[in-house]
Amino acid sequence: MAFYIKNVLLETGYIEEKNQIAATSASLFHIYVKDGIFQKIIPAGHPVDVNISSIDANRQLLLPSFGQMHVHLDKTYFSGKWKAVTAVKNRFVRIEEEKELLPKMQSTAHLRAEKMLQHFLANGTTRVRTHCNIEPVSQLENLAITRQVLTEFSGGIAGEIVAFPQHGLLRSNSEKLMREAMRSGATIVGGVDPGTFDGNIENSLYTTMDIAVEADADIDIHLHELGALGIFTIKYLAKLIEEAGWQNRVTISHAYCLGTASLKEVLEIAELLNGSGISLASSVPMRSTIPIPLLAEKGVKIDLGTDNLVDHWSPFGTGAVIEIARKLAERFNLTDEKSLGQTLRYITGGITPLDHNGHRVWPKVGDKADAILVNATCSAEAVALRAKSSMVFYKGNIVFQDQWKENLMQGGVK
Amino acid sequence: MEQAYWLTNVRLETGYKTDNGRVIGTITELHHLLIQDGKIEDIKKASEEIQDERKKIDTRELLALPSFQESHFHLDKSYIGGEWKAVNPVNNLIERLEDEAKILPIQLAKVKERAKLLIEKIADAGSTHIRTHVNIDPYVGLKHLEYVREALSEYDNRLTYEIVAFPQHGLLRSDAEKLMRKAMKEGATIVGGLDPGGVDGYIERSLAMMMDIAVEANADIDMHLHDGDYLGIYTMNKLFEMIEESGWINRASISHGFALGGIPEEEAEEVADRFIELGVGLKSTAPMRANTTIPPFLLLKRKGVSVALGCDSMFDSWGSFGTADILERVGRLGEYYRWTDERSLAESLGYITNNRTPLNASGTKVWPKIGDKANIVLVNATCSAETVARKSKIAYVLHKGKMFEVNEKISTETSVFR
Repeated sequence: MAFYIKNVLLETGYIEEKNQIAATSASLFHIYVKDGIFQKIIPAGHPVDVNISSIDANRQLLLPSFGQMHVHLDKTYFSGKWKAVTAVKNRFVRIEEEKELLPKMQSTAHLRAEKMLQHFLANGTTRVRTHCNIEPVSQLENLAITRQVLTEFSGGIAGEIVAFPQHGLLRSNSEKLMREAMRSGATIVGGVDPGTFDGNIENSLYTTMDIAVEADADIDIHLHELGALGIFTIKYLAKLIEEAGWQNRVTISHAYCLGTASLKEVLEIAELLNGSGISLASSVPMRSTIPIPLLAEKGVKIDLGTDNLVDHWSPFGTGAVIEIARKLAERFNLTDEKSLGQTLRYITGGITPLDHNGHRVWPKVGDKADAILVNATCSAEAVALRAKSSMVFYKGNIVFQDQWKENLMQGGVK
Repeated sequence: MEQAYWLTNVRLETGYKTDNGRVIGTITELHHLLIQDGKIEDIKKASEEIQDERKKIDTRELLALPSFQESHFHLDKSYIGGEWKAVNPVNNLIERLEDEAKILPIQLAKVKERAKLLIEKIADAGSTHIRTHVNIDPYVGLKHLEYVREALSEYDNRLTYEIVAFPQHGLLRSDAEKLMRKAMKEGATIVGGLDPGGVDGYIERSLAMMMDIAVEANADIDMHLHDGDYLGIYTMNKLFEMIEESGWINRASISHGFALGGIPEEEAEEVADRFIELGVGLKSTAPMRANTTIPPFLLLKRKGVSVALGCDSMFDSWGSFGTADILERVGRLGEYYRWTDERSLAESLGYITNNRTPLNASGTKVWPKIGDKANIVLVNATCSAETVARKSKIAYVLHKGKMFEVNEKISTETSVFR
């Protein structure tokens, strides 16, 4: 596919007033897309080859497409009827409930995952990392469904599947299943709370690492452990990473313990994370939010995801990852033009149109044409307004246009 | 007199579904509602046939809920309808006020038009009542009051309103006493206030003057109090003393009240007792900033304190994240407090409906009743809990029996600036 995106707005720099960044400057361009790559970027005044097809962006802003880096595609009521969460005493009771629910949810799992991916695509997402239940109830069935659905959407979304021992790797005796999952299409080894879930931090983390080494795969572990237990677990994991040589291959999801840790501890852990190349994934929960701006400033790589939406764990969630970026900005008072605009990097795998000095660094000729058009004048506005994507490009193809959109979120009566 | 009509096939909540005493869902039944003279004149089960020839409007099973209230908003300062502008970076509240002082005169010509856009958004988001604060300060004088009053008067058919005279730059700090007294004679209905400690620097004097203005105007009070933990609590207690002295029982509200979330719960209980004793209400905007404490909602509810939510603002020189969507505000509060089960979610609706919920605490249907005002939202949802958690779409809003279709263009956020 080769075409021009005409009259597209690109950010070109920051405007300073009284030594402060007051606004973002932007200009119109024509961009030539071919073979999945931005081939030419020319000022909008210049003529384009009339023999090549074109779409008119009509002054909309081009932004890098989004990544949804923590979600559970295989367990959701999304697009289905309303169901509140049942009140339970603790997570173990929830797990017991889940064991009963999972077989019932399986018949709709495919459809709901499809609806969810459609919805993500409509919200500008072209990369999804999903955690998929691997436990004795589901066996590898959820994995098979997740794979199928991601394959269907492979033209619009790059998917990664984390094999997730939701009921505890040791606790539910899922080691064999996990190894099998890694041979059956899962690409990342997951885990959950080695202490409170598995009751054996050493064995749990060792087994996780062993599975990863066998499969030559990265790791992404759910860590909800609170306070000092969470900090201890991170430190222990870092030791194992060093022993196994698994640097730059591990993500910790949630890491709630960093939300209550002292400044000194946060700085210490930031150094440890950087040393082992551990990245973080967060859904920016409203309680004990981890100090994301501080960690990022210290060099820690952090991605955002919506986490589960409308399921038996939580009735909330909209599935729009830009909403999570906005939540982050709101929580940490990132309200000025630059701070707000730069928040975008948490959902774009680190890409922002302008760098910290206000130089245009995206898009460049040769960049992958994974992008979205939004009705906004700059990144800051897009984040603050949760700008809707009117068009989504992936590998240089148009994979979504807003007139295709149907309302996927609603339960409701019709 | 308006012509009477039937709203047919309306979904009403009639009870909770339980399993071993645990609420697991909400039971609803379809009804017909006769709307006449701004009231719900009759309620029939949908299985009963309507015998008369009155007009019928089929809601096709939409859920009816009590209409919402926007309890804390600044209609006078938004950039809505204008160009994008991020917040100017400042170091503290005083610098923010200085920043605003420069911006306000420039925006003055747009105030009325923007207030109208906001009112439409708030109305489309389901509210039939707004309590707005308007700046009374040396920079705009009484102009904001005048323009916001004009704007509101054009929407008399859609909602009722209260206007709080708000000395944003400090009653003492900006020497706004005279202006405030004048505002109370020119259409403001409630006396506002702002951080007697943090902004005015004289807690007792500032509070006494606010009280004096209220007594002179025979008006209620609604004071912004951002001052944190024990400073805020001291200020509340001082205000309580003055309320007692002046006999201003059931006539005062505190907006924000962050301090309540910054002290131990046992101490908050004592303050809550005073709220009850003196009939003081809390208007919260439940902000999400990590360094701001949110009042303990459930504690206050258990004590019986009247707590109402507001969205505060939408796109102004103070912040870019406001939405004017009160349903979203209560949903995110639920997310914060983890109100995830059917009953907790359903009950949370009370924070935006002046405490009216279709079912009471024991699950008995208490709304709507024959004779209730026909202030209703019709939602594409199966129950209150779903409406809050999934922020279901509002299709129609009824105010005093008049039915308004929600304009999706206005109610979505992306149309804010263009």
